[in-house]
Amino acid sequence: MNKVKGYPQSFFCWMGYVYLVYGKNSGHLGISHKPGLDFTFWVRQGYKNFKLLTPALPIGTAAFFRDLFLKSNLDREGNNKQLINKIMTIGRRLLGLTSWEPTKGALVEPLMPPPIDEIELIKEIMEGRIFWREELIQSMIENKIKVRTPLEDILHWLHLKGDILLFPGVGYDANGKPCCKRCGQSTKLIKVKCAACQSEDFVCEECLNMGQSRLCRPLYARQKSEKIAKRDYEVKCNPKLEFDLSLAQKDAYDKAKDFVAKGKAKECLLWAVCGAGKTEVAYGAITTVLERGGKVLYTCPRREVIRELYLRLRSVWPQLSIKAVYGGSTDKYSQADLILATTHQTLRFYRMFDLVILDEVDAFPLAGNPMLYHVVERARHQSGQVLWLTATPPTNLIERVNRRELEVIYLPARHHGYPLPEPKIITDPFLKWFGNKRVLKFLIKCIEVTLKQRVQILVFVSSVMEVKKLVKLLANCNLIQPSWVRGCYANCSRREEIINSFRKGEFPILVTTTVLERGVTIPRLNVLVLYADDERVFDNNTLVQIAGRVGRASTYPQGNVWFIGQRVTHSMASACKQIKNFNQLAYKRGYLLK
Amino acid sequence: MLNLLFFKGKFCTWCGRPFRYGAFCHNCLEKLDYSKQQLKPCKYCGRFLPLNSSDICSQCQVELPVFHKARAVGAYRGILKEMIWELKYKGRRSLVKPLGQLLANITIKALRTERPHIIVPVPLTKFRLRARTFNQSELLALALGKELGISVGNDILIRTKETIPQAGLSRQQRWRNLAGAFRVKEPSKIRGSHLLLVDDVLTTGATASVCTHFLLGSGAVKITVVTLATGIEKSNYSL
Repeated sequence: MNKVKGYPQSFFCWMGYVYLVYGKNSGHLGISHKPGLDFTFWVRQGYKNFKLLTPALPIGTAAFFRDLFLKSNLDREGNNKQLINKIMTIGRRLLGLTSWEPTKGALVEPLMPPPIDEIELIKEIMEGRIFWREELIQSMIENKIKVRTPLEDILHWLHLKGDILLFPGVGYDANGKPCCKRCGQSTKLIKVKCAACQSEDFVCEECLNMGQSRLCRPLYARQKSEKIAKRDYEVKCNPKLEFDLSLAQKDAYDKAKDFVAKGKAKECLLWAVCGAGKTEVAYGAITTVLERGGKVLYTCPRREVIRELYLRLRSVWPQLSIKAVYGGSTDKYSQADLILATTHQTLRFYRMFDLVILDEVDAFPLAGNPMLYHVVERARHQSGQVLWLTATPPTNLIERVNRRELEVIYLPARHHGYPLPEPKIITDPFLKWFGNKRVLKFLIKCIEVTLKQRVQILVFVSSVMEVKKLVKLLANCNLIQPSWVRGCYANCSRREEIINSFRKGEFPILVTTTVLERGVTIPRLNVLVLYADDERVFDNNTLVQIAGRVGRASTYPQGNVWFIGQRVTHSMASACKQIKNFNQLAYKRGYLLK
Repeated sequence: MLNLLFFKGKFCTWCGRPFRYGAFCHNCLEKLDYSKQQLKPCKYCGRFLPLNSSDICSQCQVELPVFHKARAVGAYRGILKEMIWELKYKGRRSLVKPLGQLLANITIKALRTERPHIIVPVPLTKFRLRARTFNQSELLALALGKELGISVGNDILIRTKETIPQAGLSRQQRWRNLAGAFRVKEPSKIRGSHLLLVDDVLTTGATASVCTHFLLGSGAVKITVVTLATGIEKSNYSL
């Protein structure tokens, strides 16, 4: 549970008007919380007649009307009444609003625009960002910036000038259906009443963890300007590698570099086998962008990976400004050349990065979460590129590769030059629940082989209950010492301690769930998947990842992988096929040394 | 598999698992029940006590509360604590309805045939309401009112003084903090009524007691308090 009491609270509900302003030849439709500011702005542009069309509405509703009539014929002066009637009809029909009296001759007094120096400060700080007003305040505190003018007025002036986009947290699509403009989803919208502005409201629960997205809450966004920022230090971005790249890595490194240098394709998939060193391969692409003065985002669903990567990349590029952003990090709002962020944190970037590297595309919580794909895509600059890194790409990416819509770079061999250990499938149609002697027979056989080789073994099962049962079963079987086997699962209170002692080699057998399918590197390891035919848990990608735990170190490059089940499932077969295909490809390309 | 494909129930608001009926799924309800296992409520203030102790907590033995009685859905720990945090500090409104159902169950159990006349939520000040954009007690009261078919008087009791948050204050500090913080707006509405006061958490009972004091002073005859969570009386336990 989050121990920080709440998110930065909202104090500003955007309630404003839809207005029409006429110049000599054309009209302009706009929205404003302070029409006086807009009046000043448009008078300076040569416009004269300023008319409010609606009463004060939440920004979501006001923006809906503006967008709906933005392209209609506003050239003729005097069609205000028609427009007001149209807005009222649509408001009643689609949004369930009640009619209102047209604001007859409501006078709008011009207001002084904000000071230029304050405008410039805010413009700079908003570069490549999408913020709530409260997040912007946080950013200003972090960057030690103060302004005297109300922040929403400065932001609105920048919006009028076209420097900032203003849109609602929750808005309506063209058919009047609400959707969250922040996370792009419309599945978890809850109708509520805002106690602050008393308006009928929607709240999005999909992105609630990152603050309330509401119909009356404005979002401000500014894309990174095209001009390349000049650094005040010499740019030598060649990465300092602690080891030489293998032949396979070198080829992939050059291809990734080419992908960015040519800039023709917008997206590319780097499909590497587990433990091949795909992060190092991406250094080439990162270097090319950084040398051009561009900005790079390296994003990954897991916080631990970001933290670990931050330390690694700081030694690779000691001269560059690198920043890690994750839930709980202190410095979230300052600028850097290379930003490492968890996928949730990319929600605060807007068209900023020339290169977005998305690692572990298929890992939780990124897998199957359209919101995270949406926000990662939004973080990319319109002319920017995306490099997907994974050992197990999701189906949609594979299909795009097959249709030749997506460029692909294969990295089919590990740095030590040995082929990937291919899984051995053991099937028995009479294999049943625990307690059955057959289960124990197969297990003991594999464990005996493992112990003879003086290596450790990870036994994967499909549920926490099975972990507990199997640990008990093995501990009581009289063939191995009870202290040699331990269990570990997601909610296990001593998870870290157990994993660490397994890493140190303090016991040889660890029974676990798919929680350890990624992120665990044990140098001398065999792997066994019990009931691998349970396709709800062990799908193709999971099995490939599990098999990828074995043979990662050059000291023990060829371990054993066993899949035990009643039958061979499609997932088991395709996982084996994928591993075999990579080995063949590596052999063909001459990457295998042994 | 067929159940998943042709699933006719709904999805648990907390964990997202499919289930057929009720407030939360079976798993979550079990976890909610677990928070008050081996515990019983104090006869008066509803604070949870070990099963083998007396029926009245140490605090009520010294001084009985001013309200008739208080009851809570569970102890302030585990999944219930997480739910209250999600609702109160993150604004997860989808929890309101199922939590309202749980409140309704506990109210029926506590009051049996005594039907309260009006439900009154513990109010927030205008400033805090504007900051939070919702009053969690009011949302719970509205959900409870819908379940029980009782009207909600969300404008009866108002908060006139901004107080510092109660969390982290001692018992005496809480009482001092709340002195003169409330006012009854329309006493005529509650004269001679049995009121059901709704809040999210009852810790020392200071907020509920101060509200009760004002409501009784304005003509109400009986106040029952229902909350989502309350504390556990243990020698070394505190909220």
